[in-house]
Amino acid sequence: MVRLITHNLLACHAKGCTSNNFPLQLKDVQIALREADFNPDFVRGFMPKIEWNALVNAARQLGDSSLPAEQPEMIDDDLLKALHHVLLEIHIEEGQMTCPNCNHVYPISNGIPNMLLAEHEIA
Amino acid sequence: MSSNKVTAVVISPETSPQTHEDEHVHAVYEQIASHFSSTRYKPWPIIAKFLSSIPPGHIGLDSGTGNGKYLPLPGPSSPMIGLDRSRNLLKIARHAGSQSGIDSDLFSTTINEVVQADVLNECWRAGVFDYAISIATIHHLATVERRKRAIQTLIQAVSPARGRALIYVWAIEQDGLSKRVIPGQGLPRENVGQDVFVPWVLSTQKTKRQMQTAARTDPDAVKVTEKDEITEEPNKVFNRYYHMFSKGELYELTMAAAWELGLAIGNESEYPARLGIEIMQCGWERSNYYIEIRRWRG
Repeated sequence: MVRLITHNLLACHAKGCTSNNFPLQLKDVQIALREADFNPDFVRGFMPKIEWNALVNAARQLGDSSLPAEQPEMIDDDLLKALHHVLLEIHIEEGQMTCPNCNHVYPISNGIPNMLLAEHEIA
Repeated sequence: MSSNKVTAVVISPETSPQTHEDEHVHAVYEQIASHFSSTRYKPWPIIAKFLSSIPPGHIGLDSGTGNGKYLPLPGPSSPMIGLDRSRNLLKIARHAGSQSGIDSDLFSTTINEVVQADVLNECWRAGVFDYAISIATIHHLATVERRKRAIQTLIQAVSPARGRALIYVWAIEQDGLSKRVIPGQGLPRENVGQDVFVPWVLSTQKTKRQMQTAARTDPDAVKVTEKDEITEEPNKVFNRYYHMFSKGELYELTMAAAWELGLAIGNESEYPARLGIEIMQCGWERSNYYIEIRRWRG
């Protein structure tokens, strides 16, 4: 499954592509929403690792605008719940992710992203 | 596992290691995925202990996740993302930990995050994980250089300030022959290892039964069933490539991997203003060598 939590961690790794290689741009995506158990401990612990702009933009592209544009200083239950939903309940089933730098395309099918490169494309 | 007829193998220098791995590792797992998965269910104690020590809020990488048997272990407060080259194994891995017979798509808390990639791929923001494991995976890489790069890739995936990683590989010293735990320092240089083929005997009957179970939980599995039934002869044998590690070899390789990355080896009190790794434990467990490292910023 590619949830936005994973999308927020993945970066392009094609040969020579070392800057501006994140976030991968979502294109032609089909999504499914699936409820997951709310785990505030995890969300709170994961927050410092989030690339906020990338997460907000990806969520908005998928039709979820519950997150504020700027990462709030104050962490309350509403924010944790909104983050939980965006990170863990939106599943990208089909589509592709394109590197903003080198335009390499990583396909997503049956919920599994394919990050493999051909041997000559590997750094 | 049919490990009784292990044969030595010499990789021709003319063969690209990638081609060798494609043929003798990736293609094999793709075909034996469901049978292999049905034989993998018990976590080794060192791994279970490591995963139970992960604090809530941490995120991990399981590099070479196979059928995903470790993915549910850390629990929902400190989840792992599974990485593997085999798509057929990943189809199983994403449902690992869900109750059999239940369509886990309806109970999505048991859907695991999985990514198709090679263990040599640095396909993550550097240092973004808090912890990582690579269990029974690095021994499938065909050269010492690639095995070292796999360790470096794992080190670079975890936080430079506090990331932890556990690596587990198959040992030449098999169960019953040697149960000595290797101390962390002063190891003898017996670090050559042995390249072997380990046969996997695929029983078609078992495959069909396993597939019928899988088909109830994953619609994708049905496609695999059809393919297996058409292409597999009864008791087909697949030769999987392994590099069996010798005593001290994993330790030496980890030291070399860290040294090449410019990391100090020791702890932060010895090397102020440096980045480094500390070897937390290193030893032999049930026919495998393991090493646990911790990254630190001095």
